[in-house]
Parts: sequence; C-alpha cells; structure tokens
Amino acid sequence: MSGNPLLGALDAQTLVDAVGLGAVYALMAVGIGLVFGVLRLVNFAYGQLIMAGAYTLAFTSQAGWPTWAGIAMCFVVVIVLSGVMDRLVFRPLRTQSPAVMLVTTFAIAFLLQSVALLVDVRDDTIGEPAASVASLNQAITVWGLEVRKVTIVAVVVAAVALSLLALLLTRTRIGLQMRAAATDFATARLLGVRANTVIATAVLLSAVIAAAVSVLLTVQNPLVAPDFALKETIIVLVGVVVGGIDRLWTATLGGFAIGFATGVINGALPTDKTVFLPSVVFALVILVLLIRPSGLFARGGTSLVERV
Amino acid sequence: MMSEAPAQTSAPALAVDGLVVRYGGVTALRGLDLELGAGEIVGLIGPNGAGKSTTLHAIMGAVPAHAGEIRLAGKSLRGRAPEAIARSGIALVPEGRRIFAELTVDENLRLGLSGRRTRDGGEEAVERVHEMFPILRDFRRRHAGTLSGGQQQQLAIGRALVAAPDVLLLDEPSLGLAPKIVDVVFDALGEIRRRGISVLLVEQRAQRTVAFADRTYLLANGEVRLTLTPADAGDTDAMVHAYLS
Amino acid sequence: MRRLDPWLQLAAPVLLVVATAIVGSFTARATEIYFLTAITSVAIVVAIYVFVGNSGVLSFGQISFVAVGAFAAGVMTVPLDSKQGVLPDLFPLLRDHTIGDVSSLALAAVVGAVFAFLVGIPLMRLSGLAAGIATFAVLEITHNLLREWTKIGPGATTLALVPETTDLTRAAIGTVVVIAAAFAYQRSRFGRSLRATREDAAAAQAVGIDVHRQRLWAFTLSGALAGLAGGLYVHMLGSITADQVYLELTFVTLAMLVIGGITSLWGAVVGALAVSGLDSFLSEAEQGVGVGAATIDLPQGARLVTLGTLMALVLVLRPSGLTGGREFRLPRPPRRRVAAADGASKEAAREPV
Repeated sequence: MSGNPLLGALDAQTLVDAVGLGAVYALMAVGIGLVFGVLRLVNFAYGQLIMAGAYTLAFTSQAGWPTWAGIAMCFVVVIVLSGVMDRLVFRPLRTQSPAVMLVTTFAIAFLLQSVALLVDVRDDTIGEPAASVASLNQAITVWGLEVRKVTIVAVVVAAVALSLLALLLTRTRIGLQMRAAATDFATARLLGVRANTVIATAVLLSAVIAAAVSVLLTVQNPLVAPDFALKETIIVLVGVVVGGIDRLWTATLGGFAIGFATGVINGALPTDKTVFLPSVVFALVILVLLIRPSGLFARGGTSLVERV
Repeated sequence: MMSEAPAQTSAPALAVDGLVVRYGGVTALRGLDLELGAGEIVGLIGPNGAGKSTTLHAIMGAVPAHAGEIRLAGKSLRGRAPEAIARSGIALVPEGRRIFAELTVDENLRLGLSGRRTRDGGEEAVERVHEMFPILRDFRRRHAGTLSGGQQQQLAIGRALVAAPDVLLLDEPSLGLAPKIVDVVFDALGEIRRRGISVLLVEQRAQRTVAFADRTYLLANGEVRLTLTPADAGDTDAMVHAYLS
Repeated sequence: MRRLDPWLQLAAPVLLVVATAIVGSFTARATEIYFLTAITSVAIVVAIYVFVGNSGVLSFGQISFVAVGAFAAGVMTVPLDSKQGVLPDLFPLLRDHTIGDVSSLALAAVVGAVFAFLVGIPLMRLSGLAAGIATFAVLEITHNLLREWTKIGPGATTLALVPETTDLTRAAIGTVVVIAAAFAYQRSRFGRSLRATREDAAAAQAVGIDVHRQRLWAFTLSGALAGLAGGLYVHMLGSITADQVYLELTFVTLAMLVIGGITSLWGAVVGALAVSGLDSFLSEAEQGVGVGAATIDLPQGARLVTLGTLMALVLVLRPSGLTGGREFRLPRPPRRRVAAADGASKEAAREPV
C-alpha cells in the first residue's frame, strides 16, 4: 500500500498534530495582524503578553486559586498590560518608521522578559509550574488516533474566536471602521472615525486573543519560563509576513500555514534529521518571499507598491 | 435635534481668518480670509499650488495651521483632531474621492455615518442619499472599486452627506469626469444647496464655478486675489489676468 | 573648517575607540573585559551600520556573518593536537589544519564576505518587511546549522580552546580598521549611490543607479566586516556557542545602532559605546558600586530591567537616536554671524593653552 516513504510518514496522526499547531499559530497571527492593520506596527512584544498570561496562570495555580479564576485573572492581566503598552509605547510611536517601531517593540519584549526573570528567580529556580491547567493535556482516542484534549480545545477556540471576529468586523460599526482604518487611516479620520477608539479596540481584541493563547500554550507546556512563547511568536511573525500582513485573513492564513507546515515537515523528516527542521522551514520562507514578496496569499502587485 | 437645519446663530457657517499654513520652509497659505454664509455655495478657484486643497485640509485639521482662526458657526476648530472636526458638522469630499475600493458601496456609505452628531437618524440619511443617487442603491452590494469614476464621485458625496453636515467641503469633484457626469455632480450640488447645507467648492473649472456659486474666491500664491460674483462669469479677461498675475 | 569636516567624521569615532582602549589599559584586569567588550561591540555595530544605515533596509541577518566569522576563526585556531579530540566529526580539511590567529581574522572576513555575497544575490531584491523577515530567516538557518551540524563546528557544545589573543590593542586596531572601511565606503561613489537609494529608491533608479547591485556591495562589505568582528569576538572570549551569536546579540546590537542613530557612522559608534558602558556599569552595580558618596547596590537581574527600560525610553522619546543620525561635527555658532564666529573660534583655540 504505502509506496512513497515521504507520504507514508504523513499519516493522520501527523495531520491532526499539525492542525492543532496551526490553530494556535493562526490565533496569534490574528492578534498580531489586528494591531498591524490599524497601527502598521509589527508588535514583537506580543509573545511577552502571552508570557505574562502564562505566569499569571502559574502563580494563581500555586496560590491555590480555582482554574476558572486563574484563567479569568490571566485575561485581566494580559488586557491591562496590553492597554499600558498601547498608551506608553504605541501611541508616541505612531508616526515613526517601521524600523524604529519594530526595534522598540523588541526593546519592550526584552524588558518584559527581564522583569519576568527578576520575578521568577526569587525562589532561586527558573520556571514556574502551572499545574491547574495541565489536566487538559491528557490524550483521548478518537477513531484510533491519539488526540490530546488541548488540540481539540485549540481548534474549537480558534474556530469560535475567528468566527466571532469575522462577525464583529463585518456586522458592526466599529468593525467597519477598523477595516476602513486598516486601508486608509487618514481618510477614515476625515470621515469622523475616532483613531483612539479604533486602535484601542484592536489592541483590546488582540489582548483577548493573546490571553486565550496563553491558556492553550500553558496547557501544552506547563513549566512557564521567561522565554515562554518567544519561539512561537517569532515563527508566527514570519508566517504573518509570508502570508501577507496587509490583510487580516492572509496574515491569519500565513500563521496557520507555517504552523501546519512545521508540523507536516517535522513528521516527514527522518528522525535523525528533525534537528534541521528550522533550516528547512526558514529556507522555505525565503523561497516564498523571493517568489511573492508581498505575501503568499496576497493579491498580486498592489500592496507591494506601498511597502517599497 | 434637527441637525440638518441651518445654524441659528448670526455667525457665518464657516469663517476663516488670517490662516497661515507652512510645509517645512514653504508657506502654502499666507493669511487667508474667507467666509461661508448659511446655505451659501462659495467657490474656490485658482492655479495649481495656489493653496486650494491646503485650505480644505487645514479646515479639516489634517494639516496644522500656523496662525489664524477657523470657526464653524462661531466655534473655533483650531487644534482639534480631524475626527473631532468631522463630528462637529463639517464633511469633506476629498480630492480623488478616496473611497474604500475593497468595501462595498453600502459599507462606504455607512462609514460616513461615523461623522454624525447624533446616534439615530442614520437610516433616513442613507435613504435620502439613495433618493439623490439611485445608482448607490442599485449597486449597494458591489465593491466600490468596481464603480466608474462618476459613480465613485456620487458615492463620495453621498458618504459625506449621510453625516448630516452643516458645511460641505468638496475638493475638485469634477476632476477626471466626462462632461455629462460633471452635469450630474453640479445638479447634485444644487440639490444640496436646497437642503440648506453650506458648500465650499474647490474647482478647476473656473468659469462654471463662478457662474454656479453665490461667490467665488480666486486664490493665488496662498492668498485671496479676487472675489467674483456670477456676473463676472462672462468676463474671461479679468479671470485670465488674475490667473497670470 | 569645512574641508576638515570629513576627516573629523573619521577622526572622532577613531579617537573615541582609541581613548576607550587607553582608559581600559589603566584599569584592573577584571574591569578590562568591559572595555574589550565595548570595543568589539563597536566593530559589530559599525559592520551592521554599513548595510542597514546606508541602505535603509532593515536586516536581522548581519549577526549570521558575525557567527560564521567567529566560528571560522575559532575552529581554525584550536590547536591541532587537541582538535582531533574535541572536534572529531569535522570535515578532514577543517580537522587537520590550523592557522595563525592573525590569518584567522582575515579568514573570518573572507568567509563573512562570501557568505553575505551568496545570500545577498537573491535577498537584495527584497525591501521593507519582506527583507527583514528573509534576513531573519538567514539568521535562523545559520544558527540551526552551526548548532546541529558537527561537520563544520562543535554543534550544541561549546567551542573551547580558542587562543585568547584579542587584547585591547588588537581589539582597537581591528575596530579602527572596520571604522575606516565603513568611512571609506560611505565616501565612495558606491556609498553615495546607495545612500541616494535610501532617500528615494525610484528616483535613484531613474538616474541609472542599480539598486540591487549597490545593496549587494554594501551587504558583502558588511558581511566581511561582521566576519572580522566575529573573529575578534571569538579570540576575545576564548570559547563560543551558537547561542551567543544569535537572537540576543542581534537585538542588543540593533538597539545600539538605533539608540546611537541609525543613519550615521558616528551614531553607530556612540550607540555601541553608550549602551556597552551603561551595561558594564549596571553589571558592576549588581555587585555594589560606589558613586561619589553613595553606594548603588542593585538586586540581581535589575541590570537587564534597567537596560531594557532605558533603551525603550530613548527609542520612544528620541527615535532618531542620541546623535540624531548625523555625523560628528564640532559645535559651531550660527552661520549668520560670521565675524562673531571667527572671534569665538579664535577664543576656543586659545583656551587650552
């Protein structure tokens, strides 16, 4: 039956895991894409919002809070932190060049990571366990496949969150204003669209998504360290640009694609070669960028002109 | 409550006093004065670079004013953000129309509701625009980018009107349109005047604007050079002279 | 005065580096390492500046060239007798030869240049975010290969036993070479063409400048200088891991460049020295350091937090950097008052006597 060894490796198990990974990455891509849309700012510190949420889960779990309360607190912390970031950093930077904005969010990421380290090492060890959410990591068997509960939760959360977001963007006035602002902020303002409201909404939505991702990632990796979600953020940022950052849905698709591709390539590589997974994925990234610089899923030409 | 009624104060609908705008070292407007009475149509003509578009942008708060005063029904607009100005009863139909090509016609129109001063009455406003420009109702679900230039111009005007402004600013609405479509645009302006909205019209078509407007300012080099009345429309010599001076 | 300006633009950064080295030579052995690190950072940041500053294209990949330079110089100078023991998996060519440490610096520069040239041929067609991400992908691939491929290096373990030959003199000489090369480049026809594309790529293209080719030259030169800096770096440390020339170094050096002012050589040098100096001071402060009468004693880990806060503050409040992105020039009175200016400069000249 199985002739091609490469295709043989791509069994259903690999695909299920890849979809689960893709779902989390797609959520992160939406969070990054929402803020980029209205601010033209690539927020490198997005991962540290997720990290802050994960630490909240760990500390509340250690303090004996019920799981739901810990998750609620996680949302509160991420949303507040995100709002502070918008007020203190994004707002003064609105008119700066993309390079300055990106390096600044780099600096913020570095800062938040250092703060986390400072808090984390008070007990002389690095890493804080978040035991309360770990139960979601158990596997159940569905049609002969090992599926971890969190994979199902991740796919469901991603589907629900993306549908709600799509409804918000297409059916409400603030959604319409956000879409207009993402295309041409100056004209939108001349029509009476309030810049601060639109940006605050995008930042808030992005924070809610970050908090949800915190929970999903903490379930999979319950030992929270200062570099929590850093690797994922980098990969998603790459995926977002590869997909086409000018539009929310191409950015999201890019996030999903890079998660899915990573999962599939990981399954397809011979076991002794999986250490070279990053090289394969990033070589693919370069290839895509060379062929389609404005994004894999972007419509040809138009957005490239703006970007050059 | 009746936001579409003309302003009751004795102050002019829009008054600009000694407006100075600089871009870096270049002075685009040097002490511009103009006045727009309630229900008036006032034209603004002049050669390229005279400062016509800059005037509109400064009124809308999109470029900062260096000196001078801008008052809407007696209330100062200076230093306010564009969205705040748009929400205080003044709407702009920008040069090049600036419609959102990827949104539908209906969505573009509803975006104009962002500038309304009251929460309700939006549906009626959209309805009235549909009556004025039936094409916007027929094509409501189309992407605005698929409309022709003239249709896009109607959409841009409609989008400004749903905000129920007291003052409407138009930046070269006839630019790049076929003569027949230009007639449609000017007809619409007449209809807008009948609704009691004051109009400040920036145009390249000097003669037609002078004939159409209650008054027309001729701008040159960042200041008002001449004020013309419809009676001057036939006097091409005077206009050519003013343009060249 | 005017004609002196270009030479001042070279002399000021060079003098600053030499002065740092001289001050460093008078300090205790334990403190000297801070000065060494600062000077080597200048070399790396100037190498990045040659491409990023002149082209205006953001690159996250320049540390790849530092990495290959460091590993080339390191692997080729590990003494032969221990090499076969600690690095048994190397390609025979690498395993069975060793070169002197000065030639290893030249090798590092050549390897950096060749790598940058090859990578640059396809990548220099990109700009904006696509260029940023593609160069970042180069960094990821370089790191992944250096970390996992034991035929070219130590893999996930530490490359040790590299001769520690970068002292203050060598660091200063190497860094001055890097600065001089960067200066010569930006004064050359190539440098001026590339800076024109930075201001307005379309206009530059219209007057016949080949944007792709100009960017490629700068990228290659930047690769060579980064490789050289990597060689200095590995000979300073005596050992290196792939993780040391990866994300954190990329971030810190880019931050140095932006903080100093991205568009000038002077900015690159000032940024590197200012951030290094601050970092050193904070490291000392974690141990407790006396400033005047007071003693500052920071808790462990506060160094990174303070550094991050200060960098974020500079970036938010003064995004054009400490130097405003301009080259060094003497403070000069307004041009209108020529007579007064003359008097003032005479006075200034008299003062030190």
